[in-house]
Amino acid sequence: MPKDLTSGIFWLAIAIFVTIEGFTKLKLGTLHQPGPGFFPFWGGLLLGTFSLMLLARSLKFHDWIAASAISWPALSLVLAALLGYLLFLETLGFLIVTLLFLLALFCFAELGWVKHVALSVIATSVVYALFKFWLKVQLPLGLFGI
Amino acid sequence: MLNGFQVAFQPINLLYCFIGVFIGTLVGVLPGLGPAAAIALLLPSTFALSPVASIIMLAGIYYGAMYGGSTTSILVNIPGEAASVVTCLDGHAMARQGRAGPALGIAAFGSFIAGTLSILILTFLAPLLVKIALSFGPPEYFSLMVLGTTLVTYFTQGSMVKALMMALVGVLLGSVGVDSISGRYRFTFGIQTLMDGLGLVPVIMGLFGISEVLLNLENLARQRRVYAAPSGGLLPNREDWRRSAIPIARGSLLGFFLGILPGAGAIIASLASYATEKRVSKHPERFGRGAIEGVAGPEAANNAAAGGAFIPLLTLGIPANPVMAILLGALMIHGLQPGPLLMQRAPDLFWGTIASMYIGNAMLLVLNLPLIGIWTRLLRVPYALLFPFILLFCLIGAYSVGNNVGDGIVMWVFGVLGYLLKKFDYEAAPLILAMVIGPMMEEALRQSLILSRGEFTIFFSRPISAGFILSAALLLILPFVTRRSEASQTHER
Repeated sequence: MPKDLTSGIFWLAIAIFVTIEGFTKLKLGTLHQPGPGFFPFWGGLLLGTFSLMLLARSLKFHDWIAASAISWPALSLVLAALLGYLLFLETLGFLIVTLLFLLALFCFAELGWVKHVALSVIATSVVYALFKFWLKVQLPLGLFGI
Repeated sequence: MLNGFQVAFQPINLLYCFIGVFIGTLVGVLPGLGPAAAIALLLPSTFALSPVASIIMLAGIYYGAMYGGSTTSILVNIPGEAASVVTCLDGHAMARQGRAGPALGIAAFGSFIAGTLSILILTFLAPLLVKIALSFGPPEYFSLMVLGTTLVTYFTQGSMVKALMMALVGVLLGSVGVDSISGRYRFTFGIQTLMDGLGLVPVIMGLFGISEVLLNLENLARQRRVYAAPSGGLLPNREDWRRSAIPIARGSLLGFFLGILPGAGAIIASLASYATEKRVSKHPERFGRGAIEGVAGPEAANNAAAGGAFIPLLTLGIPANPVMAILLGALMIHGLQPGPLLMQRAPDLFWGTIASMYIGNAMLLVLNLPLIGIWTRLLRVPYALLFPFILLFCLIGAYSVGNNVGDGIVMWVFGVLGYLLKKFDYEAAPLILAMVIGPMMEEALRQSLILSRGEFTIFFSRPISAGFILSAALLLILPFVTRRSEASQTHER
């Protein structure tokens, strides 16, 4: 699907949502005392206008360039790893989660099996030391109290 | 000012200045990690430091990155930092001719001269601007911010409509959370994390850090060839200096004034400098083939722009680019109110930062030349090994802001968003700037309307405010006018 068309529709939807939110739920107030809905309402309206302009331009000029290809496997793995890290951070604790994270992502580096694991372990320890002892960041303890 | 130097020379501040410029150079050398993400990353670790040390360090990262970016551009033909794109052209050509050393040397010296010059102008210009700014009221601020946002969209490389949309989205994102005047929640949908608003750190790390990594995943297989710099030949010879002197001067001035304008900044400055040098040169055909002016000018320009970018922040409290937006956040976190009163209320910070920039530039000159070998070795590390660390630091950084997984999720969402934005040709910079300025604008707007009892004309009846609004309107109309006249000209033919 052409780039500008897709994104134009997306932003238009957002604009409509925001404008309605601003109008109904939050008060616009008067010009004397603008309410919380004032900015969102007008902001949404402007956004909607520009989205329509974008859509119009896209349709008029038949500039239908598609977005460049996405390499789904790599992208999904990384996004899943990131999300997984966050979701399990407080239950499993920093050390375990970091180790798993690095083990997963070093797959891209195409190291031998041994190097892969060794690097993950060393890196986890170094980062742990760095954050805990030097920068004094609070790291969650998690499952095994580590 | 002398007091500023006293502050800057305190050992702890010197240390953090050094750390800042060192990390900055590192970040500049490594492609795929920009100063914005790095500064956002290190922001939480400055909580324990004094405000002065924090700002000194974070500022150091910014202009340090301008130095580091040239190294990768020259040696590997990949810009380490967006502002160093132009340096690839002639810089890499020089490297291929075996002249990597002088290229790196002139880039470093040019950056130093430009950086120092820009700070000098800053020293004298800043107090002047502060004086003018003190007479500003809410209407002037609102109009100025409108102008600033418009400038940002004007200077985007892509479609202006899209940039305006990004700015609007940014403003809307900025309104997420508690409304300061009425106390009501906006767009929080009952989610705890959103009630404090969208944190600047997670958003920037997602938008600039994570999304960059996601984009680079597509090019993992690319092998990089690094050209080793000859060990002794780092100093440019006399001929090089003769050719570079004026471009450096021109680049510095051009860069500084472009740096002041919100949205313009280092990238535009370096492009403009390159174009200028090519146009005024007696032998334009040399450009692209290893003309040292093509390195000296742009490198000077991008460092000068970095210096100039501090002006709106330090004098008016308005960020000129995403990095300055983070610094704004940093100031607020440390309890300081950015704006014209900053100079009066926190002279130590104000002048201490400026003084540290002189020192930082000197440190960078020393750092860059001898340590080229180390940077080169660093470049040989494959990206596949680097990016997990980058992501890890982003994750820890986002979490550590408030010991809250929710912030990490925000970062994740913005990482995906940033990735999609780049894929669909939208620029993230207007969004971030608008997100930071948005709440400020809204407050200024409402205060103005309360002042004027609902009369919108207040923005036009006050001369300075009117001036800003008219300029903004002009910028918005200009692209449409020129496009139409171009179209009609081609029609007539």
